[in-house]
Amino acid sequence: MSWKSLYSLLKKDCRMMASGKFFFVALSSLLLYTLFINFGYVKFMDANANIYNVYLYDPAETLGQVSPLVYQVDSPEELDEALAMDTAGSGVGISITSGKPDVILYRGAEKADCHRVDYALSLLHSAGEYTPEIVGSNTLEMKQRREITCELLFIEIVAVGFLGIASVLFKEKQMGVIRVHAIMPLPKNLFIFSKIFLFLLTDLVFAALMALLNVGFAETGSILPAVLVQTAILSLIMALSGFGCTMVFKDFKQFSLAYLVIALFAATPVFLSANTSIKMSWIDWHPFYHVYMGLKNAFFGTPVTSSAYYICTVCAIVLLCGIVGAAFRKEMGKEG
Amino acid sequence: MIEVKNLTFSYGKDKQALHGLNFTVEDGEIFGFLGPNGSGKSTTQKILTGILKGHGGMVSLFGKDIRSVHTQEFFQKIGVLFEFPYLYANLSALDNLHYFSSFYPKEQLRDAEEVLDELEFKRDFLRKPVSSYSKGMRQRVSMARALISNPKLLFLDEPTSGLDPTGAVLFRRIIENERRKGTTVFVTTHNMLDADLLCDRVAFISNGNIVALDTPKNLKEQNSNHRIVVDYLYQGRREEKTLEAPELKSGIPFAYDELISVHSQEPTLEDIFIRYAGRRLS
Repeated sequence: MSWKSLYSLLKKDCRMMASGKFFFVALSSLLLYTLFINFGYVKFMDANANIYNVYLYDPAETLGQVSPLVYQVDSPEELDEALAMDTAGSGVGISITSGKPDVILYRGAEKADCHRVDYALSLLHSAGEYTPEIVGSNTLEMKQRREITCELLFIEIVAVGFLGIASVLFKEKQMGVIRVHAIMPLPKNLFIFSKIFLFLLTDLVFAALMALLNVGFAETGSILPAVLVQTAILSLIMALSGFGCTMVFKDFKQFSLAYLVIALFAATPVFLSANTSIKMSWIDWHPFYHVYMGLKNAFFGTPVTSSAYYICTVCAIVLLCGIVGAAFRKEMGKEG
Repeated sequence: MIEVKNLTFSYGKDKQALHGLNFTVEDGEIFGFLGPNGSGKSTTQKILTGILKGHGGMVSLFGKDIRSVHTQEFFQKIGVLFEFPYLYANLSALDNLHYFSSFYPKEQLRDAEEVLDELEFKRDFLRKPVSSYSKGMRQRVSMARALISNPKLLFLDEPTSGLDPTGAVLFRRIIENERRKGTTVFVTTHNMLDADLLCDRVAFISNGNIVALDTPKNLKEQNSNHRIVVDYLYQGRREEKTLEAPELKSGIPFAYDELISVHSQEPTLEDIFIRYAGRRLS
């Protein structure tokens, strides 16, 4: 009986998603992202992938001989100005005021851009004296493809997935049909399960296609399982949050305001911290930072192995399930 | 079928909605639950249908305590018509009925088109989306949803709301037919005509208390002033006289040429409700 009920719910939810143009939006996003990555981002980034300018401020002249590719400056102000004026926007500054080189990057964090730092430091030594560390075997283009695919997938799930479940549910809420399910002979949690399952499935298919089309068929094989695991974690968290918010907020207007706050909270600090030189000491406490890094590591073939991470995500999902279940039962009992 | 003893319910610390209700509903009876908005009608119905939990007192349905009957088997035996026609607006009447009926065992289901025909639903609209229906048509589809599973116990909340007079007569006839089949019907309404014409017994609820419970006939008799107003013609003039009922034992006790009308002065259910509750129904 439950299987029959689940089948009916899934069929109905599919129709609701289709009539709400959810599949169309997801497919359009996939197409748009793929065109952008393959014909825009990668080509644009290639043009900027020249050798980086390296600026050195070494007042005590602690280094004897440095590469002729290094631009020497006379003051910290001049170093700042040189980095700010760097036309490629990817210059690396090195200041030697305390005896050892301090790296200054105006774009990109040191941890996220090891090869730029490595390249700059290698120029401080005479030929053969310094061997740059080899980090991964990705070409620059592959690195860019993995990075941007991960970022767009994250945005898609956080924004579109979250809004998608809300738009379907708000329709049902406004039609009052959620209350009818309260007197139907079916386990009430099936109603929640059916929706979450469908959105999860859609996100997994979306993630797989994103990886195949943008990272490449050959490379995707090895990273796909880990990418799907991380996508599933993010998708479940966002779908359950979207479900819960829909039950709590009265209408779509109220929801969209809350959505702005949630999307900003979830996405902005994470992107700023992971992709720019902006440092946030508290970012380790931001749950989405870890989920984003989990996804990014999966794309780079180094999946998260920390059991604490998985325990925390499972706990968060279980907690959200409890909250959603309670909010759903409350909604079923509301007046017409 | 339904037994309620000292039923209490509170929405919060200071929001006591029900203050110890007592009533029973027999098998095959049409029981009316009458009261104005906010009196506790819907709360009672929600407790009986298992939507609201956390009540006090004892409630039993189908001979079992309500706390143990809200299983899938229980929901298979009941049909509920909500106050508003809750339907999927993007689906057609048939699709709605097929979807909601898919949760019931096949052997207990009625044919969707047959139920809609009985409710005089326009066939042209069977496959059109509900969003294109009038209020009356939506109410018909909602009623069909409540009836399609052949319920043993039917909960109806304002069944004739949104219907024209012809539709209201049709709905009352269908409810009567259901009773003839042995279905127990629990009607929640503030429509006095529905209650008077349909119900075997009615309970008046006001501020979470049952203030009166009896058959509509008994309630009217008990609250009648037993006076009769006679309208008549005598010597070319139209006159009116009020008599005590016993005065009519040996016929009209005054001279007249022609009787125009005789009014029993029986109170309406609404008059009686106001007398008991001190407020109007709507």
